[in-house]
Amino acid sequence: MYPDDVKYTAEHEWVRASGTGDDAVLRIGITSYAQEALGDIVFVTLPAVGTEVEAGQSLGEVESTKSVSDVYAPLSGTVTARNEELDGAPELVNTDPYGDGWMIEIRPSAGIDAAMSSSTLLDASAYAVLTGGAES
Amino acid sequence: MTDLQKSPLHDRHVALGAKMADFGGWDMPIQYAGVLQEHTAVREAVGVFDVSHLGKGVVRGASSGYTAVDFVNDRLTNDLRRIGPGQAQYTLCCDDATGGVVDDLIQYVRSEDEVFLIPNAANSSQVVSRLAADAPAGIEVEDLHTSLAVLAVQGPQSAKVVEQLGLPTSHDYMSFTNASWQDKPVIVCRTGYTGELGFELLPRWDDAGELWDAVLALGVTPCGLGARDTLRTEMGYPLHGQDLSLDITPVQARAGWAVGWKKERFWGRDALVAEKERGPRRLLWGLEALDRGIPRAHMTVLRDGAAIGEVTSGTFSPTRKVGIGLALLDPSVSEGDELVVDVRGRTTQVRVVKPPFVPSHVR
Repeated sequence: MYPDDVKYTAEHEWVRASGTGDDAVLRIGITSYAQEALGDIVFVTLPAVGTEVEAGQSLGEVESTKSVSDVYAPLSGTVTARNEELDGAPELVNTDPYGDGWMIEIRPSAGIDAAMSSSTLLDASAYAVLTGGAES
Repeated sequence: MTDLQKSPLHDRHVALGAKMADFGGWDMPIQYAGVLQEHTAVREAVGVFDVSHLGKGVVRGASSGYTAVDFVNDRLTNDLRRIGPGQAQYTLCCDDATGGVVDDLIQYVRSEDEVFLIPNAANSSQVVSRLAADAPAGIEVEDLHTSLAVLAVQGPQSAKVVEQLGLPTSHDYMSFTNASWQDKPVIVCRTGYTGELGFELLPRWDDAGELWDAVLALGVTPCGLGARDTLRTEMGYPLHGQDLSLDITPVQARAGWAVGWKKERFWGRDALVAEKERGPRRLLWGLEALDRGIPRAHMTVLRDGAAIGEVTSGTFSPTRKVGIGLALLDPSVSEGDELVVDVRGRTTQVRVVKPPFVPSHVR
């Protein structure tokens, strides 16, 4: 099943809150379902730290041997970190999508609590329904 | 969705956890463990592909001294008189009026009176019906699509595997021999689509499962059609439907080496000779990305901001670790030119090269 400690988007990203107060950020990656569907990931393109992203906009790309997909910003905010490891080891998205395969962190403009309670985010069981419960 | 046809190994692919997809109307494995791992197995060790979806046909007979070889030679492009019984050849079936490519295929001369054909899955019925419609009395064209399966054992260690099965391995590249495995007939061809040393084994359709099991029991990596595509793209081998089609002639696709220009007859001869003389309006080249972009089919290629062609195939090269592709480009383009590919609204720098992108080891 899908981990319970993150929330999900219908576009197959996950979001996890970390830190408190001014240090609070949202870490974002793609789900196990998404990486499985993409196949072997060979390049990940991510925005620079400081980039302003808007909910629903493409913030990067994931290329596999067979196709390319956008990664969408689940929420509006400012990029505070990007996973530099993925430049040299994009396969981390396949092997550990919720851990070492994370992509970026953003500071949401709406604040962390409002961001995490956004109605556009799904919990694990709702995401499982969305994906047909077909996670392998 | 229409019902997809199934290979005799379909249940085995599903049991291995393969990701399945439609290939020319057939539900075939794209990948098992992953494209990169399967690609590397073929380049460095050995892998096996189920390509039973490929078409099969046979042309038999003779008509007052006009043999099956004569009949095929007067229709398909390559010069069958360059090879003899036991040998195989890459050839093209072109449209007689336009010279566009109906299909690319391998032709196997079994005897003067029997030529075996392996076209692509989606085009097999076209090739067979075009030949059948043109066959004189005494020449018979038969579709054998589901009579024989095809297992491609490919990679530097493929000869060892085929030998361990008790099958012959000493014949030359692009030749074949009849053999048997556990008293079942198997045609052993020294052919492939990967650029590595390899064999294509053709058992009877119903015997394919046991042979597949025996190959896997020798530790061979099962490989899907995803890896087959990255392997063939690294070699610059064209794929019909992308780099060859009814709209793309062999002159444009640089497949003129597979055309018997000295022959008096073959389908499309007039159109192709005329195109060759006036010069093609576009030519197929290799593209190698100079940054992290990956060219993909249908992307536009630009020079100084103006479109000068289109990518026909593109992927990430697992061996070279860069984006590579094939593209039909304006005839003014030369080897070594640096161009730009429009990758989803952004630009990727590419260099024009002559494939293959990695050295061939077929011999």
